[in-house]
Amino acid sequence: MDPREWFRGLPIVARQEFVGNVRSVRFLIMAFVTALVIVGGSYGFSGLGGGLFQGPAVNVWTHPAYAADGSHVAVAWVSDPFGNRVVGATVVFEEPETPTAGRQFAEATTDADGFARADAGNLTFVFVTARQGFAEAGSSIQFFPRPPLNFTMVTAAADLDSDGFVDDLGIHVVDLTGDPAAARILVNGTERATADARGYARVDLGPGTSNVTVEIAGESETFPWTAFEVPVVGGPDVTLAIIAGGFGLLFMPIFAIVISFDAVSKERVQGTLDLLLSRPASRTGILLGKFLGSFAAVALPVTLVNLAGIAVIGAATGESPTGGFALAFVGLSLLLIAYFVLLQLILSTLAKTSGTAVLFGVLAWLVFNLLYNIIVLLISLPFDPQTRFQIQQAATLGNPSLVYQNLVFAAAPGDLFGGFGGTTLSPGALGVAAVFWFVFLLALALWTFHKKAAE
Amino acid sequence: MSNGGNPSGPHTRRFLSSPRSPAAVIDVEGLTKVYGGSRGVKALDGVTFSVPERGVFGFLGPNGAGKTTTIRILATAIEPTEGTVRIGGHDLWEDPLAVKENLGLMPDEVAFYPTLTGMQHLVYYGSFYGMSRAEARKKGSELLAKLGLADAVEKKVKAYSHGMKKRLALAQCLLHDPGVLIMDEPANGLDPAGMRYFRDLIRWLNGEGKTIFLSSHLLSEVEQLCERVGIIDHGRIVAMDTIANLTAHLATDAPSVLRVTARGVTEAVVDAVRALPGVASVETTALGLDVTASPGADIGPEVARTLVGGGAALREMRGEQRSLEDLFLSLTKGGGD
Repeated sequence: MDPREWFRGLPIVARQEFVGNVRSVRFLIMAFVTALVIVGGSYGFSGLGGGLFQGPAVNVWTHPAYAADGSHVAVAWVSDPFGNRVVGATVVFEEPETPTAGRQFAEATTDADGFARADAGNLTFVFVTARQGFAEAGSSIQFFPRPPLNFTMVTAAADLDSDGFVDDLGIHVVDLTGDPAAARILVNGTERATADARGYARVDLGPGTSNVTVEIAGESETFPWTAFEVPVVGGPDVTLAIIAGGFGLLFMPIFAIVISFDAVSKERVQGTLDLLLSRPASRTGILLGKFLGSFAAVALPVTLVNLAGIAVIGAATGESPTGGFALAFVGLSLLLIAYFVLLQLILSTLAKTSGTAVLFGVLAWLVFNLLYNIIVLLISLPFDPQTRFQIQQAATLGNPSLVYQNLVFAAAPGDLFGGFGGTTLSPGALGVAAVFWFVFLLALALWTFHKKAAE
Repeated sequence: MSNGGNPSGPHTRRFLSSPRSPAAVIDVEGLTKVYGGSRGVKALDGVTFSVPERGVFGFLGPNGAGKTTTIRILATAIEPTEGTVRIGGHDLWEDPLAVKENLGLMPDEVAFYPTLTGMQHLVYYGSFYGMSRAEARKKGSELLAKLGLADAVEKKVKAYSHGMKKRLALAQCLLHDPGVLIMDEPANGLDPAGMRYFRDLIRWLNGEGKTIFLSSHLLSEVEQLCERVGIIDHGRIVAMDTIANLTAHLATDAPSVLRVTARGVTEAVVDAVRALPGVASVETTALGLDVTASPGADIGPEVARTLVGGGAALREMRGEQRSLEDLFLSLTKGGGD
């Protein structure tokens, strides 16, 4: 055949495939879902610094109290991280046997106000553990022979308003009989809060060091508190890494599969394939047309959505992701889409029915996003840890999804996850693997279509 | 699949003359197709035929004989295991694009893209032949009007009836004005009026100078349209000649049967009939007798005289002329619809 005729029919089939795809219902659904995941995720994970870091669901605030006869009473108040009482939590009281382990001497359930109390006799030290479901919090109580003040207090700080600083100071105050006390809270000499009926108060201190004063019936205690920054990873690049290497990695292939899983098999099933093959078009032209038409139908909306996601990250965090990283994400996404479109064209050519084509699509996604890792793990398990590590590193190259993921991460700033994770593979090796996978899948798709299109 | 009944006897050999004209537009030689590897099913076995320019060639055979496989090879949908095909002087695998430029295919199963309109199909298909949108629309409108499909031009194909799809299939087949038409069961699934319409159309197309390869399992269709007929069974051509020659062979070669309705036919009468010159065999039936004559023998008067003379009450005597249909059925082992 004349080399100029090799690609005959390509633009015609590509245009038809593209127009047919973007007019389909499945295209609209997938474009919507992808936008929701990528743009929504970009917005949601931009707030990563605060909201998701709250520690356990329950706090336990413990106090020493003294009965009229001078015996000790262990007092525990159980709340959520925001100071709302938790009713019905189990509280276990233990006396120490070793510095770290204890022997239970009492168990109680928190009352309607969130309090649990236990008679501690003459014990001077008590471990307290509160449990609600699988949420658990522990504390301890030290009994003094002569209490220094007419109240006891416990403080706990967290970043409850997601401002990136651990400066939200919760204070729980009871009097020496163990009842909630009407405390006033002053910050740098100014009254800022009053304890509620259960003895809880909270103040937002702001950055820097503050002097906090707790005052009850003329007695007071003042202590300094320095707010520190939330020690978790965050920022635009981390959000982008989560979107690019996580959500995008999983959802962009789904879009590609949904669009292209029946590109050939549908023509076969509905009987239009023979008519198409009888046209003056080369099989190479038809297959490449199918590829480009499906690819464009996925790549166009995904690129728009990816760019929108990057813009949203910039708007939500007030800081744009690193340029090279963002660019690598947008560019390599096209490669990931191309991989899965080509893979589906191969499988679609082999599928004799629509059902098989759907099954192949689901399997392709499962294999590269889930089963591959499990299989690599199973294969590497019998080896010593060093060999296991090396097998797992090398196996990255055998999965186009992982090649994409590691190439995207290779373009990210080095300390992204505090240096955790990553790969020992060089960007060069990953780049060669990326090109290999594209060429290999393209050649296989062409060969399969030439051989099997109409058998 | 039975191979035991292959027509290798002297009776069928005679029909296998296939003079291959150098001016043949379709020239098929030794076409063999095996599905599923070396131990697979042999769908075609050495199929050879040719169709001259402006000829109408009838490809006749029961369902599953290999007609559609042959057509899919001619349309380059599948490749043969062996054999060559030249259409319009071009080899089908060395120069497929040149062949396909000049080829119109009407498949048996008329299938289209359900969400496209009839006109969108024609515009899409036309673009493969370098037709602009406007050109395809103009040509398509003319064709669809001629085919009585003008009202449905802008309707989606999923709303088409079978007959409408057949017409659209013909429209896409003729759109680029090909010189060679490959038609697989064009009358399949049509009512008598529709079949007649297609017959007239095919005659007209042939008059316009098209070379037509027509596959069918309906003898009547082929008999009325084609000059030459090839009969295929179990992947082999079992007879090939002009309709006139095949019929002539029948007149001289094929035995004829007298169906006799009579009462009181005794053993003695049957023996007397069997003894008549020119009688090949006699069988008693519920109605009376079936008497088979030797080829060319005119036994009617003698049989009648013998029966009446033997005391039988003769009611009716009907000579059964062997037709192309009998030939077709006998060649294809009685297979058919």
